[in-house]
Amino acid sequence: MTTPLPFAVRMLGITKRFPGVVALDDVTLEVRRGEVHAICGENGAGKSTLMKILSGVYQPDCGILEVDGSAASFTGTRDAERSGIAIIHQELALVEDLPVAANVFLGRERRGLLGLVDDRSMEDECERLFSLLECSVSPRDRTGSLRVGDQQLVEIAKALSLEASIVVMDEPTSALTEAESVRLERTIQRLVSQGTTILYISHKMDEVFRLADRITVLRDGRHVKTVDTSATSPREVTGWMVGRDIAGHGFHQERPRGAKILEVRQLTLPWPEHPRGYRLKDISFDLHAGEILGVAGLMGAGRTELLEVLFGAGEDTWTGTVSLYGKSVRFDHPSEACRARIAMVSEDRKRLGLFPDLDVAGNVSLCALHEALRNGLLSRAAEEDLAAGPVRDTGVKTPGLHAAITGLSGGNQQKCIIGRWLLTKPEVLLLDDPTRGIDVGAKAELYTLIDRLCRQGLGVILTSSELPELLTLADRIIVLAEGRLTAELPRSGATEARIMEAATAG
Amino acid sequence: MAATNLNPAGRSPPGSQAAPRLRRTAWFGLRNGEWALLAAIAVAFLLTGLVDSNHSYFKDPWVSLTDIARNTAMLGIFALGATVVIIAGGIDLSSGSMIALSGTVCAVTMLALSPTEMMGLKPVASVVVAAGVAAALLTGFLVGTLHAWLITAVRLPPFIATLATLVGLRSFARALCESATHAITPTKSALINVYDPAFKAVRENVWVPVTVFAILALFTWVLLTRTVLGRHIHALGGNEQAARLAGIRTENVKWFAYCFGAMTAALAGLFYVANESVAQPMNQGRGHELNAIAAAVVGGCSLSGGVGTVPGTVLGAIFLRVIIDAVSKIIKTGADVYEGLIVGVVVVIAVTFSQFGALAKGGRRLLPGALGLCAIPTLSLFAGAIVSMTAGQNGGIATGVGSLLLLGLLRVWESRRDAT
Repeated sequence: MTTPLPFAVRMLGITKRFPGVVALDDVTLEVRRGEVHAICGENGAGKSTLMKILSGVYQPDCGILEVDGSAASFTGTRDAERSGIAIIHQELALVEDLPVAANVFLGRERRGLLGLVDDRSMEDECERLFSLLECSVSPRDRTGSLRVGDQQLVEIAKALSLEASIVVMDEPTSALTEAESVRLERTIQRLVSQGTTILYISHKMDEVFRLADRITVLRDGRHVKTVDTSATSPREVTGWMVGRDIAGHGFHQERPRGAKILEVRQLTLPWPEHPRGYRLKDISFDLHAGEILGVAGLMGAGRTELLEVLFGAGEDTWTGTVSLYGKSVRFDHPSEACRARIAMVSEDRKRLGLFPDLDVAGNVSLCALHEALRNGLLSRAAEEDLAAGPVRDTGVKTPGLHAAITGLSGGNQQKCIIGRWLLTKPEVLLLDDPTRGIDVGAKAELYTLIDRLCRQGLGVILTSSELPELLTLADRIIVLAEGRLTAELPRSGATEARIMEAATAG
Repeated sequence: MAATNLNPAGRSPPGSQAAPRLRRTAWFGLRNGEWALLAAIAVAFLLTGLVDSNHSYFKDPWVSLTDIARNTAMLGIFALGATVVIIAGGIDLSSGSMIALSGTVCAVTMLALSPTEMMGLKPVASVVVAAGVAAALLTGFLVGTLHAWLITAVRLPPFIATLATLVGLRSFARALCESATHAITPTKSALINVYDPAFKAVRENVWVPVTVFAILALFTWVLLTRTVLGRHIHALGGNEQAARLAGIRTENVKWFAYCFGAMTAALAGLFYVANESVAQPMNQGRGHELNAIAAAVVGGCSLSGGVGTVPGTVLGAIFLRVIIDAVSKIIKTGADVYEGLIVGVVVVIAVTFSQFGALAKGGRRLLPGALGLCAIPTLSLFAGAIVSMTAGQNGGIATGVGSLLLLGLLRVWESRRDAT
């Protein structure tokens, strides 16, 4: 930064209260025109609330908002769009059943003759925007049929079609493959070179440090620091985010490896409607007691499908053999896997794990309810005693067993779900990307928990979209690429580079 | 190898300190909304007693009470079934037709077993009555199984599957009635008279349906709150995919829920036959499925599943019948025309009230923008028309103008509130 640029956005002394919480407390954010400004903070730090105020979704309780030097007050997203601010939300807001072009122009449809919708002109404009974004999607494709990465580009095209001068991206790469992330970074650089200002929210330090000119750190709804990227380090920023220095995890001490529990041979899961013909092909590996087996792979490599087959949760029939303690097994329903002492914590907590209408105790006790029966009927007291154990052991922070599960943070919800499965006394624990969307502090707690369970003799299979996580926790790592097993690496031989090489192998 | 016991929970001392217990949101087993419903029932009783020119609630409470009790029990029995289906995340639109089919199956069975007595309007052997009742309940089980199969195996949405049976079962019941009478009796008939003393006794003793309803309510309450199956029903309705991944046999839980729904409707169908001394598939129970769903919704069930209680549904059924009875007391003649209107208005008002807290706190507007502006005359016109038809033209005009003014004031107040 040689000459300080004028400010594109200034948010001064912003405070926002929700019933029971102060989401933002006197937060100041100043973004210079044409820069990439990263906003970092744990979940609940107030990043998303701040961005929703900037884009007119919320109105601040007090504070001043200036856009391009003049005071602004937005009563809705339309106002913000008119001032040239577009936001790409973390959870994509697309209508899946509409074609891509209709989504890009949703609410601002172009009209032609007689006021009828002019699909042609919208499709042409879409085509132009997509070519800018190196995206080969046709504007006529049904949006729901696109991959997540392409859907994200549809959102970006929407922002571009607004001719927004300020684009807010809320954790855009959380669902992207490596290649898609790289493409997104190129897009961001192109936008910046055209003078667009980018506000970039992310957990991932490597991205932030590659892209951002400056970084603002928020913690617990307060502004901690704004610094030039060149003047700091990832470690320092993470420290500000959590308010303490995160020590390197000491999980590398040898864990005693026990007997072989699970043996998978030549596992193949067909996929007839796909040109590749299979979701998984000829997968073979072993799992021992007291061992964490990491499964690496890009999105779509078949990690989730592999765990689903082992847990009996998949719909399709597979070939090959899976042996549990030397006995061949084939589960057709998760309940059979449960009985064989296999547990699975699934990938999408909200969609596949939580019961929003049950309280904390109800969510934890669900799989072991028969233990809470007294005289043949459920006893609430027995159920609470049952749930209290795992709630304490996994370190769930909750106001009580009656608390609504939806009121807990993501990390605590995940601990509740792990606790639910611990009540079934599992011997094999399948963890599908268990720390996704969980903040740094809670991640460290989950690592400690997983390590402890493993030391108690569980066999753990862990998938993760973050390689450092696998390298931290796993004893061995198998790598999947497009449904095939391309490498099996001991921890000593595993590096990010080697894993990526295997994960992208044809 | 020895399985490592990883479950310290089993050994944890009872009442562990890990999590303090929060105060529960229920007093004496009832939630806020249910207390409100109870209060509304009391208010409706009092008001009707005062407004009714005959003051029949004060002069002759027993007649009104038995009437309301019988109607509540007959609605409540299959509203409990609807509650279980709705909590499980489904919907059963077919219960009105199931009522007709159940009555028909019962009557046809009795006709087939003792044709001379049935045709001569004479008592039949008690084993014949038992066979009729058993056949009706078995039909409920079969229809529930059909629903569960259509929904879990064919994967029809519950709305479509039970819409098909709503239309189909009534037609089936009519065809069954006609072909059975054609085969057994000299003439084809669209109804079968049932004069057996057992049915007569049920008609004349209101405590029978009330006791059956009470026992069924207790059973359903225990089922939903104190059994593993009940918890699985809640879990299924709250998040079906998560329930499956938690090892719950979701298709079996659904099977149970739809059988329970259809069998309670079959049970109600027997009371309809007893009450009217006839199995009449053309009109019996027609449209009553919506009353059952309304009772459940007024009682706090969420149609998206996972939420609902038995006390809520019981109170919802009582409330609906009390309001319907109140209107018939006030209007005196031809009140049955207004039954649907009452149910509709009660559902809208009850659900609006349950959101009242959110409405007040969130600052959401009831009459926003152009839509709100158009809603003001629409609502006033309906209110005025209803009152003028029931209480005379002057009252109607007064109500219409009054609503117009009140809603107008609400609109002005809302705009002012948001402007500041």
